[in-house]
Amino acid sequence: MATNTDRRRNNPPSGGTHAPVFARTLREPEYLQTLRPTRTRGPNELRRIFLQTSIIPSASGSAYLEIPSSSANSSSTLIPPTSSLKITASIQGPKPLPRSAPFSPSLLLTTTVKFAPFATRHRRGYIRDNTERDLGVHLETALRAVIIGERWPKSGVEVVVTILEGDEDGWWGDAHASGSGWGLLNVLAGCITVASAAITDAGIDCVDMVCGGVAAIIRNPDSRDEEDLVRVLDPCPAEHKQVVAACAVGYLASRDEVTEIWMKGDVGPDPDALIEGATHASVGSLAVVKEVLLEALQAKFQGQIESSQGAQKRKAQDVEMTG
Amino acid sequence: MAVPSIALPGQLLGSADKYFPGPGTHIHESQIYASIAGPVITSPTPKSTQTKPSPLLSIQRPSTSTDPGILGTGSGGGGTILPEVNSVVLALITRLGPRFATCEILVINNIVCRESFQGQIRREDIRATEKDKIKMEESFRVGDLVRGTVISLGDQSNYYVSTSENEFGVVMARSEEGRLMYPVSWKEFRDPVTGRAEARKAAKPF
Repeated sequence: MATNTDRRRNNPPSGGTHAPVFARTLREPEYLQTLRPTRTRGPNELRRIFLQTSIIPSASGSAYLEIPSSSANSSSTLIPPTSSLKITASIQGPKPLPRSAPFSPSLLLTTTVKFAPFATRHRRGYIRDNTERDLGVHLETALRAVIIGERWPKSGVEVVVTILEGDEDGWWGDAHASGSGWGLLNVLAGCITVASAAITDAGIDCVDMVCGGVAAIIRNPDSRDEEDLVRVLDPCPAEHKQVVAACAVGYLASRDEVTEIWMKGDVGPDPDALIEGATHASVGSLAVVKEVLLEALQAKFQGQIESSQGAQKRKAQDVEMTG
Repeated sequence: MAVPSIALPGQLLGSADKYFPGPGTHIHESQIYASIAGPVITSPTPKSTQTKPSPLLSIQRPSTSTDPGILGTGSGGGGTILPEVNSVVLALITRLGPRFATCEILVINNIVCRESFQGQIRREDIRATEKDKIKMEESFRVGDLVRGTVISLGDQSNYYVSTSENEFGVVMARSEEGRLMYPVSWKEFRDPVTGRAEARKAAKPF
């Protein structure tokens, strides 16, 4: 494990942040099943999204995304039924390249994705592991196609994404759920959306705003038939007992282009339907991003106009005093 | 179609036949799209070779506030701006070599940079006349503040800066005793207390 190789910090026992498991859930399997969360929204309905930009003053651009848990907390157990997604992104730069770097006529993009140690039920290390590096590469491909790099010669930009709370791979009561990787698709889509908002906040030239979206094929919980599959948008893996396939995309809505696809599972004969579902989900989150950015812009330029008016007033007063 | 007042990246602004793309926009399939978020500004094209000039569409970047913020200068307050050819810069001389002086570009076109850029003033770019007689130590000293213009994006690490015009050169210099000096001619600065003159390539005061 990565934590064993990290000798610079006082490491806690690995595998630490499990929520307590109460005896009743072990004794009575029926009781355990009553705690299972179910999807209450429609198959094409997304979870609510909270987004805010310009949260880190020292970064040139930053954003915070939160997709809160959709199920209500039950009063009978302390364990939250579904996980929520909380991601921050900060943009450092564009800044001059280090001295050792060779000449580059366009912007060099570096993406770093890191889970906070407490982000998942299983504690993460401080050093990036393979999953995080993999997510970073996926995020980079999604963003690379969007940025107009030629406008920033000889400079580099760093996109640092920290996942404060990651979507789970499945419900905590299902032993097989953890490690399946379904939650990572949601995390990737969230990373793409939040990084895109932060890049726009930083004022880096982009072709369009890229947004992440996820769609999944699940077994229909209401049906007895094993083969009855449904397509849902924005799946919360904890709410679905069996996810058959899932797909995350980075999608440019106004150009109708896809910059990144990550597909998992048994897609079946028609992968296009799944991809299309994921693009629909990304259009949904794009609406939120647009709304938030417009609001932030109005606030930013409102303040600018007022401050310039204030400066003019002060100047006018100075003239009066000297005259 | 009316031009929107405020735009987000990827938003259609107008046809490329009717407008010229300015800063903050790009062309895709002969349509002008926004590439940064901000208010859209339509301004008449300054110089145009066409018979019927099209208005210029550009997107305003938020102006950088002069307030350095709670974390001090160099943290957030500065603008994300890159040196371009012909931009006027203020730079601090950090090292003198026999062939060139190394400097740190701090201000570009009156905007304080978030991070400094490494620049180089080659000996032949210091002044326009008698280039073969230029001596480095009679032009700059380490610690001088120099106004210059960027002549090239340069190599991998340096921007090339030139001071070969009258209004470019040293604007602030300290004497050997560390006092701030005043310029007396295009090649001389004088210490206000001792009256000793030191050779510099002085910038013409406005």
